[in-house]
Amino acid sequence: MSVPGSAIQLVPADQWRSTCEGLVDEGGRFLALYAVRENEDVAVRAAFDGPQGPTLISCTTESGVAESIVPVIPAAGWDEREAHDAYGVDFEGHRPLRALLAHPDDLSEWVVPVHGHDPYQVAVGPIHAGVIESGHFRFRVVGESILHVDLRLFYKHRGLERAAEGRPLSTGIAFAQRACAACAVSNSVAYAQAVESLQGYRPSPRLARVRTLLLELERLYNHLNDIGAACAGIGFAPGNMAFSALKERVHRLNQALSGHRFLFETIAVSRSPATIDRAAAAEARAEVETIAEDARRAWREVLFNASVQDRFLGVGRLSLDDALRLGTVGPAARASGLRRDARSDAPGLEYPGFEPASLRHSDGDVAARVNLRALEVDATVALLHELLARPAVPLAEPSAEAALEIAPGRAGIGVVESPRGETVCVLEAAEGLLTRMHLRTGSYANWPSLAHAAAGNLLPDFPLINKSFELCYSCSDR
Amino acid sequence: MFVLLRELQRLRRQIGLRPPGRSGSLAVRHVDAGSCNGCEHELGACFGPHYDAGRFGLSVAASPRHADALLVSGTVTTRMASPLRTAYESMPEPRWVIALGDCALGLTFLGDETELAGPVETLLPVDVFIPGCPPQPEAIAKGLLEAMDQSRGAKLGRRRLHL
Repeated sequence: MSVPGSAIQLVPADQWRSTCEGLVDEGGRFLALYAVRENEDVAVRAAFDGPQGPTLISCTTESGVAESIVPVIPAAGWDEREAHDAYGVDFEGHRPLRALLAHPDDLSEWVVPVHGHDPYQVAVGPIHAGVIESGHFRFRVVGESILHVDLRLFYKHRGLERAAEGRPLSTGIAFAQRACAACAVSNSVAYAQAVESLQGYRPSPRLARVRTLLLELERLYNHLNDIGAACAGIGFAPGNMAFSALKERVHRLNQALSGHRFLFETIAVSRSPATIDRAAAAEARAEVETIAEDARRAWREVLFNASVQDRFLGVGRLSLDDALRLGTVGPAARASGLRRDARSDAPGLEYPGFEPASLRHSDGDVAARVNLRALEVDATVALLHELLARPAVPLAEPSAEAALEIAPGRAGIGVVESPRGETVCVLEAAEGLLTRMHLRTGSYANWPSLAHAAAGNLLPDFPLINKSFELCYSCSDR
Repeated sequence: MFVLLRELQRLRRQIGLRPPGRSGSLAVRHVDAGSCNGCEHELGACFGPHYDAGRFGLSVAASPRHADALLVSGTVTTRMASPLRTAYESMPEPRWVIALGDCALGLTFLGDETELAGPVETLLPVDVFIPGCPPQPEAIAKGLLEAMDQSRGAKLGRRRLHL
């Protein structure tokens, strides 16, 4: 690699859509779309993943207007709505361009109109009845069935991306980490990888190993939490409590290993602040084994409980075609039969010979999503077993001086498989300071799929469908 | 299911939670006003099998109308300021406000100024502060019990009303 980072390739405005389409036709996958201010103009950028690694293309809008890529890449729907609300970009061909980040009072500006005999609305949130993050759902219902649901998130929008601008590359990581506690490691690693790609720093095998270990610890407690949450979604308290207890044990393990229950501040750019010694690793390894054993026993009780499965099967179905079209990622995508996991191609991390989990019956329903997580818990336990057995003592790495010269017109892209799916971080910098940070998390990618999967189901099943995706609001709102 | 119940019973014996040694109750309504979800996870754990805050008479109410205390997490975003006020105004009096976590306390102020309305204290009168990022389940339970003690004091006429 001669020049670090990915070149920002300029595309004429009238060829924006055709270029994006061409990249997808060549086997590229849409990663993210965002807007950025350039002098007096606003530019739109889109990142794609391909056989040759990530590609970033850009077009300068003509007085704020750009071609929409939604007709060819529906997965970019939310990205364009956000770019419109935050940067005023009008996307030609994306009509109606409904408000997403903005919260207009007028309902017609952000919900899909529903006509017909006797449909009514159910408004839920932003404050929910349980201990849940804030967000608003507007259901259009006939009888008990959901015709359509519009999601109004971004109640927790803290402007983290904007606040990160102008910060040094090494400290901007705090904004990625604090976007979400449950995905703190994933988001921070995506950020760190983006900076390192920009600086031309290649993580050493030892650094790769520590990060992989921390990512898998994060996945373990999240997946256990999510299986418990699905049980809570149908009021199956014993299952919820059993998995909450297992999750708590992983939090305590995290505390013992890293000093923080959510592994905060264990990831830094081009170094590892986490120190894990051999004795602690050996103890953790034994504890992971007992947690795994108890998890398997508890899981059997959930899997072979007819009344539980009766509620899980066939509910909230997301077909493979829809998952492909909507750009679904993570466990939700794999439960619909999409064999895609960012861990199978993860330079800078240690996943030798990784194979994405797949079910025998990828039905894309609640049962499939929960089953898939149980499978992934086993895979994660196997990975941890290996990672904790050879903790390349000490697991900390002295700070490495990376090249600080950043070539102009380049960006860094980091891609990490979070517990909720592929998380992408794109960074642009000038003179060592961040000029634009964009974080597109697995949750952000999957919210539209959740809304799609909910349609046609019973309204009382929505909490269950929601929990089977178990998306973070804070990760999306930023 | 019986295996799960038996395991939970075994776990409870193992943990050996002490009897609460106190009486009283406090119904809490939680509002996430812009947190990173860490406080929500820990609040959930606080009511989970390892801590079981329920044995102290603590509970999470589904509606502010049924709550004694409002538990607020996160630096209040501009978009959550109004729903937060509505929740507070819906509560019966006397009412208590608890700020949960460093963001709610104003100790961390991560984000763009224009999107943040400020720490909880700038919007509502806060009675109990629970620091931590996120506060651990024990700390949350202690904070909630402090609010419960305050609410007892109020019954004896020692408490001001926030109108």
